[in-house]
Amino acid sequence: MKRNLMIRIRPFLCAGVAAVLSVSVALRASDEIPGGPQQSPIALIGADLYPVSQPPIPNGVILFEKGKITAVGPAREIAIPANTQRISLAGKRIYPSLIESHSILGLVEIPAVRASRDQRETGSINPNVRAAAAVNPDSELIPVARANGVLLALSAPEGGFVSGQASMLQLDGWTSEDLALEPSVGMIVNWPSVKNDLKESSNDHDRVDELRELLDEARAYRAGRISDRSRQQTDLKLEALRPVIDRQIPILVWADSASVIQSAVAFALEQNIRIVILGGYDAPVCADLLKKHKVPVVISAVYRLPRRRNDPFDSAYTLPARLHEAGVSFAISGSASSRSSSNSRNLPYHAGVAVAYGLPEDEALKAITLSPAEIFGIEDRVGSLDVGKDATLIVTDGDPLETPTSVTHAWIQGRSVELTSRHTRLYEKYQQKYRQLGNQ
Amino acid sequence: MRLALCIILWMGIQAVAADEVSTAQPQGLRSHTPSTFLLKNAHVVVRPGVKLDNADILIRDRKISVVGADLVAPAEAQVIDCSEKTIYAGFVDAYVEQSVSTEPIESGAPYWNEAIRPQLRVARQLGVNSLNQSTRRKQGFTTVLAAPEGGILKGSGSVILLTGNSASEAILRPDVTQHIKLTVQRGRGRSPNSPMGAVALARQAFYDAKWYDSAWSVAKEDPTLQRPEQNDALEALNLDLADDRLFIADTTNELMFLRADRFAREFGLELAVLGSGNEYRRLNEIAATGRPVILPVDYPKPPNVGTIETAMNASLEDLMHWDLAPENPARLETSGVTFAFTTDGLDSPSKFLEGLRTAVERGLTRDRALSALTVIPAELFGVDEQIGTIEQGKLASLVITDGDLFEKKSNVVETWVAGQRFEFDRPSDREVVGEWTLSLVDSSNVEDVEQWNLSISERKGKLSGELTRPEEKEEASDDQESESDTDTPSQDKTEEISDDDPNATLDDEDSDDSSQEESDNKKTIKLTKLVLNGTRLSGTFPSHDDPTPGIVRWTMVIDKDGNTGSGQILYPDATKKSFTGERSPKQDNASEDEDDEAEESDDSEEAKPSSFAVNYPLGSYGVDEVLSTTERVALVGATIWTSGPEGIIENGTLLIDDGKVVAVGTDVPIDRNTRTIDASGMHITPGLIDCHSHMATDGGINESGQAITAEVRIGDFIDCDDINIYRQLAGGVTTSNILHGSANPIGGQNQVIKLRWGMNDEQLKFREAPAGIKFALGENVKQSNWGDDHTSRYPQTRMGVEQIFIDEFRAAQEYAERQEQYRRDREGIPPLRDLELDAIAEILAGDRWIHCHSYRQDEILAFIRVLDPFDVTIGTFQHILEGYKVADAMAEHGAMGSAFSDWWAYKFEVYDAIPYAGALMHEAGVVVSFNSDDRELARHLNTEAAKAIKYGGLSPEEALKFVTLNPAKQLRIDEYVGSLEPGKHADFVVWSGSPLSTMARCEQTWIDGHQYFDYTQSQVVSARNEFMRNSLIQKILKSGHDMKDPDAGPDDPEQLWPRDDMFCGVHGFQE
Repeated sequence: MKRNLMIRIRPFLCAGVAAVLSVSVALRASDEIPGGPQQSPIALIGADLYPVSQPPIPNGVILFEKGKITAVGPAREIAIPANTQRISLAGKRIYPSLIESHSILGLVEIPAVRASRDQRETGSINPNVRAAAAVNPDSELIPVARANGVLLALSAPEGGFVSGQASMLQLDGWTSEDLALEPSVGMIVNWPSVKNDLKESSNDHDRVDELRELLDEARAYRAGRISDRSRQQTDLKLEALRPVIDRQIPILVWADSASVIQSAVAFALEQNIRIVILGGYDAPVCADLLKKHKVPVVISAVYRLPRRRNDPFDSAYTLPARLHEAGVSFAISGSASSRSSSNSRNLPYHAGVAVAYGLPEDEALKAITLSPAEIFGIEDRVGSLDVGKDATLIVTDGDPLETPTSVTHAWIQGRSVELTSRHTRLYEKYQQKYRQLGNQ
Repeated sequence: MRLALCIILWMGIQAVAADEVSTAQPQGLRSHTPSTFLLKNAHVVVRPGVKLDNADILIRDRKISVVGADLVAPAEAQVIDCSEKTIYAGFVDAYVEQSVSTEPIESGAPYWNEAIRPQLRVARQLGVNSLNQSTRRKQGFTTVLAAPEGGILKGSGSVILLTGNSASEAILRPDVTQHIKLTVQRGRGRSPNSPMGAVALARQAFYDAKWYDSAWSVAKEDPTLQRPEQNDALEALNLDLADDRLFIADTTNELMFLRADRFAREFGLELAVLGSGNEYRRLNEIAATGRPVILPVDYPKPPNVGTIETAMNASLEDLMHWDLAPENPARLETSGVTFAFTTDGLDSPSKFLEGLRTAVERGLTRDRALSALTVIPAELFGVDEQIGTIEQGKLASLVITDGDLFEKKSNVVETWVAGQRFEFDRPSDREVVGEWTLSLVDSSNVEDVEQWNLSISERKGKLSGELTRPEEKEEASDDQESESDTDTPSQDKTEEISDDDPNATLDDEDSDDSSQEESDNKKTIKLTKLVLNGTRLSGTFPSHDDPTPGIVRWTMVIDKDGNTGSGQILYPDATKKSFTGERSPKQDNASEDEDDEAEESDDSEEAKPSSFAVNYPLGSYGVDEVLSTTERVALVGATIWTSGPEGIIENGTLLIDDGKVVAVGTDVPIDRNTRTIDASGMHITPGLIDCHSHMATDGGINESGQAITAEVRIGDFIDCDDINIYRQLAGGVTTSNILHGSANPIGGQNQVIKLRWGMNDEQLKFREAPAGIKFALGENVKQSNWGDDHTSRYPQTRMGVEQIFIDEFRAAQEYAERQEQYRRDREGIPPLRDLELDAIAEILAGDRWIHCHSYRQDEILAFIRVLDPFDVTIGTFQHILEGYKVADAMAEHGAMGSAFSDWWAYKFEVYDAIPYAGALMHEAGVVVSFNSDDRELARHLNTEAAKAIKYGGLSPEEALKFVTLNPAKQLRIDEYVGSLEPGKHADFVVWSGSPLSTMARCEQTWIDGHQYFDYTQSQVVSARNEFMRNSLIQKILKSGHDMKDPDAGPDDPEQLWPRDDMFCGVHGFQE
């Protein structure tokens, strides 16, 4: 029954780490079987639909075929073709997949176990590395996230200055390629902290200059490659920056403090490149700037401590509401730190607490569905329940922003997704133990 | 006439005595320098508040012989005219730390831990050149208390005269104090490595000293008994205790002050406290200790508010501290606290008088300031018969100033230390700043006088100058007239040349590209290499017009009056000229240049009182007044989740009085004296209880120096100022279990607190909560993730972890038996009191509850099996991630489980953690709670509880108990809190909706019948905080004060201690 994938540990690993690992690193592959391609049209009937792109539709029907949504509407208006698999979901609700806008899913299994970490390449400039190349589709963390409605997640490298390219994953499939909905949706940059505002520290400036030079080099490289390949030989790092200078993908910049946000946005404007702010704690202070230049923000965790002693206790809780009022476009992520993505499943509660502190409910839902799809340029495929988009959606027994709500069904591009996980398996196993004890 | 006779008689006695004070054999010729002086016609402040005008002081043989009017000078006396001068008794610098070598203890019989070194004596390691003597004397200090640096019990301090002579003369009173510091520097390597560990070690040392004393007295009586160890440290400590030696605790903030006081009370110590300057923050508590304080005058620089962005980071606490700290001495005076002063904390002792004068400007009375420098420290150190006042028979230690000491413009012109005179009345200590006219005499033609104008100015301690000389020698005399009314720069400035480095070059950096301005026929040249060295002012300037262009060098020696001088000029062609210089008389009319404007704003600013009253804790969200009285209150119309037998009551009433719940139900009569709060639409729950937290402590979470640290107490370091208390109140938490970290198999003792925001550390403690202790299993204690250097501490495996517990329990058992036997028989050497084993023995006696960090099922089961034979029931398993696998064994043992709701996969041992664990354990009959272990997560324990519904299908009512009644049971405080039942504490939360909803908000949090949090009010407070911040930011900007480096760390070193379990890191949301 168990398909354990034993990872052998190199024998010369240092003693301290070996002490952990020798306990037997059985980093198991998940037992869930990926769903097969959609064979026949499916109609979900009778549930309340929350398409996000339009108001909720009570007692609706959603129809999808070959992985794409073909109809959405009130039950009475949708004609269901013959040969359609009908699933009655009265009393349930249907939403597009929740989208986690930042994680290290697939790249890191257990942060404390070095052999299971793949998120941080050595060196500080790594624009050429891509998360999708190293995502472990059998990570036990993936079914756990999926089971709570997070079927789509950004997975991103970290560390250094330019960490590499983030990939948008759909959380079901046999291979890393199956998972990669879009292998490159942005370039992660850890913006240098603008520490000393009065005496601009030369060190910080050097880093920005370094990036400036890098982009200049990338432009020269592109021109060189176009005109004469033999003279301009391959440079993978500069090649990887081409989508950035061509405005195909944004830089995804970690920036919480106002001065860092300002510095990063000014740089992007100067360089004529696209930018998305990750973190964004002080974004309301820079709201005019962000709005004017249409710079979106990924709010990295709403359940987050105030950064300053004098900030209101709820400064992180009210951040989404304040950005909403200021007209800045934003998504909500549940990831405050990238140390572990084992609890990406809690994404909807970050949206929930934003509601408690002032964000309208529909906006909260949008911030974890359609908004991230727009920010990462995949809104033509996912993010809402609309005809033509992927049938990547979830069925719940209540409001997904509320903790007790469960996800009862899920499809990714029309493929039915298992909602079991390592957790449900262990739960069942030990329920069995107590049943046995009870029978004695 | 009679007086004169007395004097002569008395002097005769002294003269005899003077020859017999030293055993030293004369080297070469005998030296008998006359040592009689008469200081005439001074204002003499004989003691604070008593000033004689036109008085004389006769000094003979290093002592004050007579003080009076019109004294007749003995024939051998040197008479010094002190008219217009004021004379004070020499000042005492009441704390000067000296680095000491630990070699003497190593070569003796030391305590096992080097930080306990009371046998170290500063008096034995006194360097003549130490103590920065001349700088201190210039500030008026004649005496210091020299204290040893380093360690926890640090060694003895001595009162030292700043004579600059050998120890044999300089020591006024040796070993007058014993020093203690209840904290340590950060660093993992040593033991102890946390403030908690430091206190625990000091405490044990005092018990050891008591034991040492009694053990030796028994052993001496009966030579057949086994001889106790020889121990220099304990011997020294016993001597200190027997002599009622003054202990001085050095403290880093006001809470450390209160802790030092408690420690001293525990052992009946005479205690003075080296203060931090923060005492005003808990003034009442500090005054109530009655401890004398040694106060620093190192007020903080203002936080950096230079840009919008740096100002965002300036906390209200730091802003208020900048504003209030200079009033600390005045506020202590008003509260009746006795204090002395120290230069400790200042960059240089040369800044002392500046700090003192600021304190006076900010309300400290002059008499008290003087007392704090003289009579108070003299009494404190038991040398008041020799120093402190200007009275007959005391040492001739005096400070002579040219004006009232507390006036900014006054200077110390002489300091006398025990009859030795130190003069500072040299030009180098005066201003050279001003307009000088140099008259150059050509040696070949004495009639030909060339006049130059030299303009010297000073900014921030740096001298700069300009020279104006006629372009053509012939025209010199014509120009002279027009030069004479040149503006005179400010005369207020005092020179800032540090005497520590008299050769410092003060040339202007830009001066080398000498700017030469031409106007009419005069030339103004910027001076370079301008140096004031003693009475020599020298410099260079470039010359382009002299016969040989190049660099001109010049030197002027300034006369004693400071206004005239003479010097020499050396031209590039090596010709020389002599000159005389004269400084123009000072003008009172300040000129309008920038310098003066800056100074004016300085003056007006410094007199400004603080803008805002102290709140508790200081800064954002602090409360103005600590709550005292309680009301009878009824909250009506709410849905009340009682977590008690009443279940959930719709449209119910909660009646509270005197801090307790009076009634809960639908039919609660409300009398007229009851304040009614309409809570319709709201939900009320018991206050949430966090069974695992590390907030609100500044003692370091882990004392990881040893594998067993049962003697360490979190309760020694409750930090009532932690802003997280407020933040968690805003999430409905009312009680929190503050635990030691998981670095050790047996960690320290925990402290249950209530979140009584605003109260002091002792008042936060949950008095009724029974004692507890942290244990830990698994990866953290076997150092799996500590790094490659940590592979030798026992234990390194779960096998070893099990064994170390058995070993410790057996040891404690045997220890308790020995103690009991001695109590019964009183035979032999008394057994040592071991605080570590005491704590374990308390566990065995059922008086202390174990809270054990645990992950894997095997270790959980093994630990239960360790406990069973000792008949110990565990308090709780904490984290208990795999508890669901052995819930049956837990239930059988009676173990309760305090778990994470859903954390997993952050390290190897949590790969099998599942969110269903809570429900599985609950169903097996285990009392389960969900905890935070995280400052952020603690703010929404209510929604954590909701996960027990999602994962395992508990009812909402049962789920809520995971954060109310169940943790109360686990902490054995369910008699008082955890549910809303009559008689229990009125700790409750008002929610805007269902407490289990992510979309509900905590509206109010009450503890003991007081409302500690109100959502609407918090917004008002927040706005007020912003107003306060803005006013203070403006005040700083207007003051022109130097601001802190925006990237500098916190001022308070205690802020550096971690507030989460670093060994449990990776799981949380914390940043």
